[in-house]
Amino acid sequence: MSNQTTTSPWKTLVALPENIWRSIFRNPLPSSDLGRASTSFTNFFLHLHPVKVHRNSLKATFTLGLGLISFFLFFILVVTGILLMFYYVPSTTQAYDRMLDLRGTVAFGIFLRNMHRWAAHGMVAAVFLHMCRVFLTGSYKPPREFNWVLGMLLLLVTLFMSFTGYLLPWDQLAFWAITVGTSIASYAPLVGKDVKFILLGDSTVGQEALLRFYVLHVAVLPAVLSLLVAIHFWRIRKDGGLSRPAEEDALPADAPAPVEVISGPAVVMATSAAAAAAAQPVLQKRQYGIQGLVRGPFTKVGNVPDRSVFAWPNLFMAELVVFLITVAGVLLVSLLFNAPLEEPVNVMHPPNPAKAPWYFLGLQEQVSYSAFWGGVGIPTIEVLLLLIVPYIDRKIVGVGRWFAQERLLANFLFLTFVIVNVILIIVGTFFRGPNWEFVSPW
Amino acid sequence: MKTPVKPALEESGDAMTRRRVLSWLSGFGLFGSLIITALSNLIFIKPRATYGQPNRFSIGKPEDFPPGARVSLDTRRVCIVRDGDKVAAISTTCTHLGCIISVSETGFSCPCHGSRYDQDGNVTGGPAPRALPWFQVSLAPNGEIEVDKDTEIEAGNYLRV
Amino acid sequence: MSTRVTLAVVSFVVLIVHGIVFYDQFFNRWEKHQTAYFEQARSLAKTDAEKHALDERGPRIEQIIVTQFGESRVDRCATCHIASDDPRFQGHADPLRTHPYSAALGDVERNGHWERRHKFTDFGCTICHDGQGRGLETFYAHGEDAFWPDPMLGYVTQANWHAEFKAKLTGKEYMQANCAQCHTEDNFAGAPLVQRGRQLFFEKACYGCHRIEGLSNGTLGPDLSEVGKKFKVNYLWEHTVNPRSFQPTSFMPKFDLTDDEIKALTVFLKSRRGINFAETSLGQYRARLQHTKAEETSKTQSSTPSAVRGEQLISERSCTACHKLGDRDGHIAPDLSYEGLIRDEDWMMAHFREPKSRIPDSIMPVFGFAEADFHSISSYLKTRSTPASFKTGEEIYKNLCARCHGEKGDGKGVTYLYLDPAPRDLAKVAFMNSKPEDRFSQALKTGVSGTSMPPWERVLTEEQRRAVLTFVFQTFVKEPRPELKAHRVPEQNPVAFSGDSVHRGEQIFLQRCTGCHGRKADGKGPNSLDISPRPRNLRNSFFVNSVPDKRFFDSILYGVQGTAMPSWIDYGLTQNDVGDLINFVRSMNPQKVSPPSEKAPTLTSQVKQEVLCQGCK
Repeated sequence: MSNQTTTSPWKTLVALPENIWRSIFRNPLPSSDLGRASTSFTNFFLHLHPVKVHRNSLKATFTLGLGLISFFLFFILVVTGILLMFYYVPSTTQAYDRMLDLRGTVAFGIFLRNMHRWAAHGMVAAVFLHMCRVFLTGSYKPPREFNWVLGMLLLLVTLFMSFTGYLLPWDQLAFWAITVGTSIASYAPLVGKDVKFILLGDSTVGQEALLRFYVLHVAVLPAVLSLLVAIHFWRIRKDGGLSRPAEEDALPADAPAPVEVISGPAVVMATSAAAAAAAQPVLQKRQYGIQGLVRGPFTKVGNVPDRSVFAWPNLFMAELVVFLITVAGVLLVSLLFNAPLEEPVNVMHPPNPAKAPWYFLGLQEQVSYSAFWGGVGIPTIEVLLLLIVPYIDRKIVGVGRWFAQERLLANFLFLTFVIVNVILIIVGTFFRGPNWEFVSPW
Repeated sequence: MKTPVKPALEESGDAMTRRRVLSWLSGFGLFGSLIITALSNLIFIKPRATYGQPNRFSIGKPEDFPPGARVSLDTRRVCIVRDGDKVAAISTTCTHLGCIISVSETGFSCPCHGSRYDQDGNVTGGPAPRALPWFQVSLAPNGEIEVDKDTEIEAGNYLRV
Repeated sequence: MSTRVTLAVVSFVVLIVHGIVFYDQFFNRWEKHQTAYFEQARSLAKTDAEKHALDERGPRIEQIIVTQFGESRVDRCATCHIASDDPRFQGHADPLRTHPYSAALGDVERNGHWERRHKFTDFGCTICHDGQGRGLETFYAHGEDAFWPDPMLGYVTQANWHAEFKAKLTGKEYMQANCAQCHTEDNFAGAPLVQRGRQLFFEKACYGCHRIEGLSNGTLGPDLSEVGKKFKVNYLWEHTVNPRSFQPTSFMPKFDLTDDEIKALTVFLKSRRGINFAETSLGQYRARLQHTKAEETSKTQSSTPSAVRGEQLISERSCTACHKLGDRDGHIAPDLSYEGLIRDEDWMMAHFREPKSRIPDSIMPVFGFAEADFHSISSYLKTRSTPASFKTGEEIYKNLCARCHGEKGDGKGVTYLYLDPAPRDLAKVAFMNSKPEDRFSQALKTGVSGTSMPPWERVLTEEQRRAVLTFVFQTFVKEPRPELKAHRVPEQNPVAFSGDSVHRGEQIFLQRCTGCHGRKADGKGPNSLDISPRPRNLRNSFFVNSVPDKRFFDSILYGVQGTAMPSWIDYGLTQNDVGDLINFVRSMNPQKVSPPSEKAPTLTSQVKQEVLCQGCK
């Protein structure tokens, strides 16, 4: 402002809205490729995305949008969760009363609780389905091994998050589900008893447990989850976007060869000084701004005719649609179904059967056969196997295609694992009655 | 996203209008929802029922307050004044910084910073900026006196009982 | 382009749902009620000031926060029932109706104005009515939601209650249960049902099994001090009517009760909620100290035992709530009409002090009466010594046997559920015709030790006994007795009693027998529930010691026809194996505890310990 001495105050005033707008959004709505690129780069929220994405990544039938749905559900959970915190008190004498108040007196209280509850169940399901998608399309293969591991951690944190939230209404459902759930944890060898004790802060579920679960649920786990999500997203870009079949990367026949400025991931990571020095002359020879159009893990330049499209507006539009579909789904479900609120806690009178939350009913079903193997042994083995899958199955075939022929065995094994677990959950949910005896739901 | 996005220049006028209409529709839906969400959240965080004692309460029969009585109900923060057959309720929250004032011979006095009020709640000394408010007093159908702390009335307005 | 269409559609869906939710929030039923109230009150208003005050008021949540009764209660009932304390609305329709005034509740009328004894601002609503004070919708506020533990007493029945009881569970008299929360005095006239229920609690001998703090000390059944807090009236009613309706394994007897009696008991039990509002914890503690002191003095106080006092005690302490005595009959426990001929004083006294010491599986609770009282009762029972005068076998069976063995002889008399071992099914031909006749006549004569089958020796003459036996075989067994095949079994156990033998026997027992007889040999193995008659309790010393080796050999090797006991000789058990088994069983039942006909020492805990330990050695 100071160097524009000629500007009259009036003109400054007239230009004020425009200036404020431009100071926030540095680009007008883009009409050229450069504009589209700049739009992505100069917006805080948009610059998390690449400027261009491969067309394959936008194929709804390929991703099913599950990763995004998981993330947006998490977003909804954070928002509704913070709102619910205004009225919730983590105290055994008050928690249930506050639930009644949410249902009775608080405006939109029941609706927000419904949203939070159903979004939480939805997130557990979405994260699990996302994992299935990634496996069945072979997307965990190098270089995406570590992101698969991160994804597994995210699944575990999500489960734990949902589990800790389950206790907070302090009704019979919550109390006995957590009693059962933490008892399953106590079967772990050596540390089981301690884990349970630390988790509950007492030998039984009580005020201490409620407080601990509350802190875990509203502070610790969301922070961990956010961090992991951030790394997960970052790794998607650094691993070259979403997976796709090799033939999708083939260039059109008439395309000129791409000019590679730097090859190899060394500079992308840019940790070693030597590598950076080696790269220096090349970078100096032809100077490109950071807006060099990015594709894959390596920086490439030139208007290369490939199969990618600009993120603005294609990717953003797709994300917005997924977001809105997610929101609409949660809203509709919340409108139609109320979140359960059972009797206030009665420590002396367990419901029969006392069931864990549905996503743990598979576990509970296993536990009914063998406490150690069902509750700890098999789940640990399953998780460990899933964690090391990308390090065992390293042959890069069938990547980016659903149910690729080349991966018949892997897919078969994985589907068996999924179906067995789903069946266990269904049996635990619908076919188990009092005393955990087999009952027919009809 | 099946078709690659064509450069804007190549698009026909028709497609442009359609796109524009759709954009407006989506924009309307989105911003409408956003505004409703914001409003709902504001309504949500404003409590409809509080957990303290209610602001509208009954204090008993008129006979409980003989003529000339000046009874300070500390939990309710209100002083019931009866003058002959007239009853009124005067706040006992100091208008200075919110301490509870006590009834004195000359009216009211605040223990915190020495504000003093006369019998009708007018400031007679100390840092108090305003006179003590009077609350609406009414006779409930069951014959008890009801005080409504949500409604302030002009000083000197008594209820005849 | 398809993305944009989807976007437009979805964003509209989101907008519409938002709109619905938002709109929905501003149309509550209670607001309508309040608006209606303001309108009507305005037309009733006499002064302008009143009208003006009403104009100022808009719909809002009315609540009473009650802090003086335990944890603070928030009652928002007046949000809909806004006219509850406005006398002008008497006789209007709910919810805009004045809460009725009632002299019975202590309300007083003075110059045409009623004044309430229990002011709503002090008491709230749920303290008397129950229901969910915080709810603002009828469904939740009145407790119609099946998950709410306190539905409005006498007004609301929940959907999952049994339809047949619903009508019986309504009526404002149920609220008496809540009166008793404060009005704890025994003779409080305002809650007659609570009083009657308390009376019945003693009349029906409930006190024998159940403990209620300050009232009784039974230990056999669950403590009922806080039963009203735990259960809804439907549970209390149904459980009293049929104890097995909620818990199939409950061994609480079904008592003879009329609907009015059940209602009184239900209200009384509902009023048991642990700490009463009327009592401070200090006051309660003092009362408990006083109570135990009084108990001790009453126990040491001994009046001279006499038969007259005994008769009085029997009706005071409600023995006939279960037993039969003359024409009073509780239909649960054995007939005491001929007790003087059946049992001697020692037996009776030992049985009073600890019923299980004579009949190990008896469900009779230990009544902690004073020793002198026991003496009185037994001396009264001794006077019941007129032998039965019934003539024909049929007459005898109807009057003495049918109560346990059933009119049809199927072992299902009125008391059969509560006797363990259960009465023999006399209609089971396979059993009846596989045992020698003298076993039955012996059982009739001397009874079956350790069970509820008494010795009839002195009640019935030999002739009468023969008559009844003939009657049983003619009427129930019908088929002619076949020639009994004599099994070749030793009279005496040929295997010498030794540690080794017992150990071998134990091994066999653990392998073969535990499925039915249980690991503790107490007849309660995992399969026992599905077997009728139930497997023998092999720790019933009176019974085991009364059975000769020969019968053991016969039953084990060749099975017991008409029961689940198989013929073990078919499964490869040799005579020596059975000898070991018998030694093992005998080792758990030392002869020290002699059969009841002789003078027997009581089974002290020390003896019990010995018995148990020997079983494991």
